[in-house]
Formats: sequence, C-alpha cells, structure tokens
Amino acid sequence: MKIRKILALFLALSLSAFGFAALAEYDFSKTIAVVSREEGSGTRSAFTELTGVMTKVDGKEVDNTYLEADFVSGTSLVMTTVESNEYAIGYASLSSVLLNDAVTAFKIDGVEATPENILNNTYPIARPFNVVINGEITDEIAKDFMAYIMSREGQAVVAADGLVPVSNDETPSYTAPAAGLSGTLVVGGSTSVAPVMELLAEAYIALNPGVTIDVQATGSSAGVTGALDGTYTLGMASRGLKSSEKENGAVAVVIGIDGIAVIKNPVNPIENLTMDQVRMIFTGEITTWADVNK
Amino acid sequence: MHSQHRNLTERIMRGLFLASACVCVLAVLTICAFLFVSSAPFFAQYNAWDFITGQVWAPLQGIFGILPMIVGSFYVTFIAVLLGAPIGVLTAILMARFASKPVVRFMKPCVSLLAGIPSVVYGFFGVMLLVPLVRVNLGGTGKSVLVAGVLLAIMILPTIIQTAEAAINAVPQSYYEGSLALGATHESSVFRAVVPAARPGIISGIVLGLGRAIGETMAIIMVAGNNPRMPGGLLKGVRTLTVNVLMEMGYAADLHRESLIATGVVLFVIVMAVNYLFSFINRRRVAQ
Repeated sequence: MKIRKILALFLALSLSAFGFAALAEYDFSKTIAVVSREEGSGTRSAFTELTGVMTKVDGKEVDNTYLEADFVSGTSLVMTTVESNEYAIGYASLSSVLLNDAVTAFKIDGVEATPENILNNTYPIARPFNVVINGEITDEIAKDFMAYIMSREGQAVVAADGLVPVSNDETPSYTAPAAGLSGTLVVGGSTSVAPVMELLAEAYIALNPGVTIDVQATGSSAGVTGALDGTYTLGMASRGLKSSEKENGAVAVVIGIDGIAVIKNPVNPIENLTMDQVRMIFTGEITTWADVNK
Repeated sequence: MHSQHRNLTERIMRGLFLASACVCVLAVLTICAFLFVSSAPFFAQYNAWDFITGQVWAPLQGIFGILPMIVGSFYVTFIAVLLGAPIGVLTAILMARFASKPVVRFMKPCVSLLAGIPSVVYGFFGVMLLVPLVRVNLGGTGKSVLVAGVLLAIMILPTIIQTAEAAINAVPQSYYEGSLALGATHESSVFRAVVPAARPGIISGIVLGLGRAIGETMAIIMVAGNNPRMPGGLLKGVRTLTVNVLMEMGYAADLHRESLIATGVVLFVIVMAVNYLFSFINRRRVAQ
C-alpha cells in the first residue's frame, strides 16, 4: 500500500516535471510529425477531400498526403501517436476526439471543433450524410424507414457510428407500424454513407422483420441519379446536391454530419490553423511548426 | 489372438501417425492453394512485373507498386540480422563453452522468456521507449528503420541463441579434447575446432531468425512509420510487405484487397527462396 503511494507520487512528480519542461521549451523549429490514416480509410478520404489534400487530375482523384507522414491504421492509434509526440498532428472523427482528453482539437479558421459548430455549418471540415429522394417519398416502407432514421432511436445509431446526429430533445421516438410492413427497399449511393446505412437497416429490420433492405455502395453521384431514375427508392450522398440535380427534382435530407477534428498534443501552444495551413501540413509544403507560427 | 490384437493396435497407431503428418502437409498445401488462387484475379488484371517493380503505391488510384515494400522488408531484416546474428552467436558460444553453471542456469530461462514475449508487447516496448529515445536523441519522428531493425534484432535473438547453442553442444566432445591434446588453448579449441564444426547449425539458426524477421508484422507496424515510398536513411520511416497487408486489409475492397493477397504471395515466395538458398549453401558446405 505504502509502496504504491510512493510510486504514484513519484510517477505524478516525474510526469508533471516532464510536462512543465515541455511547456517551457516548445521548440517551434521542430519538424511537424504528420500522422495520417492508411489508404482505404473512410476518414482519410473524407479529410483529404474536404481539406484539398486530394486533388482531381484529369478527372482522377489524386491523394497528395505527405509520404513522410507516420501512417497508422485506426482512430485510436492516431490519437495515441499524437498523445505521445508533442510535435505531432493528426486527424480523427470528432466524436472520438471529444471522448479523449489526451489530445486537443485545433480551431480551424478560428472555429472550434464542436458538434454545435458542425450543425450550424461554421466548422469547415465536415460533410453532410444525405438521403436523396425524388421529390416526395411515396413508398410506404421508405417513408417508415426515413421516420426511423430521423427518430430518437435512429439518430442514436447515427451517433454511435461517430457522426454528429441532427436530432434534438424534441425528436420523437419511433414505433413500428402495428400492421407490420413487408417488402424490399433498395437504398444505394455513397460508399461513405453505406456503412451507417447498413447499421440503420439492421436495427430497422429488427423492429420490422417483414422488411428487407438492400444497401448498395456505388458512390454519391450514382446515388443521386439512382434516386431520380427510380433505381433506388432512397439514394445516399456524402455531399450537398448540385444545382442541376436539384432542378431535376432531387431533395436531400441530412441524416447526420461527419465531422473531422485536426488534433495536436495538448502541449502544443498553437491553437488555430487555417484550412490552407492544414492542407499544406498534410501535403508536406509546411514542415516545421515555426512556419505555422509566423 | 494375442498377436492379432497387437496387429490391430499397430495398424491404428500407424494410421494415427500418418494422419498427424497429413495435417501438416495439408495445411501447407491449403495455404499455398489459397494464396495463389485468390491472387490470380489480381495478376489477371495487373501486370505482375509492374506490381513487383512499381515504386508508387496508390491503391485508390489503381496504382499498385510494391518495390518500396520489398526493399523495405529486406532493409529492416538486414539491419536485424546484422545486429542480432553476432550478438546471438556470441551469446550461444558463451553459454555453451565459457559461462559457469550458475550463469547458464540464469541465462537459459531469460532467453526462453525473450522467445515467449508476444510480438505486440515488443511493439509496445518499441513505441513507448525506443521511438521517443530515437526522436529525442537522433531526430526525426522516431518511427524509423533503425527502431524497427533494433526491435527485430532483439526478437530474433532467442531463435539464434537456442539453435546455435544446441548446434555447438552437439559437436562431439572429441573435437574439443583432440584440439586440447594438440596443445591448443581452451579459447582456440572452441573457436577453431568446435564452432566451425557447428557452423551448419549456427547458419540455420540465423536463417530461422531471418525468417522470423522478414515475417514479423505486429511489432513493426507500431514502430516503422509505414511510409509507402522507397526507403531512405536509417532515421526515416519504412513499410514492409507484412505491414502493407495488415495495415490496409481492414478497409480494402475489390482490386485493392486482391493486391494485398498478392503482396502476401510475393512475401511467401521470398521466404521460400531465402530458405531454399540457405539450405542449398548448407548442403554444399556439408558435401565439401
């Protein structure tokens, strides 16, 4: 017991001493340790797309992530890496960053990364997950499934998948129709939205055993076209609608927002980054913290 | 009656032994078949030569070049063997011929313990201790060829030590005694008579260690930085073939996924080739 106390005290002392030492002499001339996710990660493709790290060359998407970055697989590994290196920068979905005190989110263009700022559209590294419909939903199952997605239960599924839900305190609860629905619903579109849609479909089918939902991951544009020409009863898109799509009758319903926080070690005194700086850090155009702190 | 009973037991046991042997062979054949069959669609779509010699890995753009990973695997393994082999062999010689009994009695369990540590624990040790150490003292992010190589060197030590020690102990005592009788000292008898006689065993220990180093994944993914580009200096990050497979398996789909299985095939072929090469060298030595 006594030994444990002494050990704990020793650990606390050495930790705080380490912390102070680091605070006192944050060396801006140090190289930024960029931490990136692996190829294929949804977070990476969303992040690179929103920040401009990914560019389009001849219609092909080219990911320009700095090749000297530290590549790790998994959100938690990004966070532990940033936690253990004072000069590191990384990114992860906002929901997981908010649960972790060991890393801090940068303000982007002066806006703090919070669910509120994502909902009011001021935080820039975020994208809506949309369900796309052709004018109005006429299909009974589709109508009920949408009601489920927008209900308290459906939004809980959305939140559990790491998205910012669009529900509030007044969001109603879902009750399955007493008569019982049966039939098949085809939902198709964005590969980013598909995983959460599958979770929603799974939870919905548990409440409505007569229904089968076919979720097809084909891409946002295919989702919008599919919803318009009737291939899909509901389309999925991880971007806003283009004006041409709206003119053709497409309507987007936001079911949740994917927010990505750019994270740093709490010791790092820099609090704000511009979108340009984020892009340049992750493409390797800026390599030291002094360049950021100018 | 009695002999018939014995005959039956004999036959059952024979079958049992045969079945056991078959499990092993069957496993190897199944894995081979699985690897080659499931990578076939990839090689049908993508030129194998471009795959092996390509320097750019951008799977989402449909560019699959694994030369950086092939070089990376050899690079890291080379460092590991360079550090691990001399330390391991010298330790084995010490334990077999020089150390006193109490020292050996202490060292043996230490070496076995080293062999029993799971690779993820080595990874933790590397990322928590070696990586910051390199970062603070030598610069860079710390995730580097150097840390990966040092970590692997430690990991392959028990394999090298145990095999080499067994090989040295297996050398007939008469070699040693004969050398002494001719007037050689203890030291030169060990190094000139015993160790050369044990050379095939020592080499196979090093090859076993090399095999483990080239196949190690979990510890490396945590400390190597995993950069998919041609490896650079010792303090720069590196990606090995094994890491490439593990890292991207989670989200990969379609051709990307098949390219990872194809990466596994390349690794498999490399390991087979290395093993064959060394057994060939060994056999020639013995023949001479």
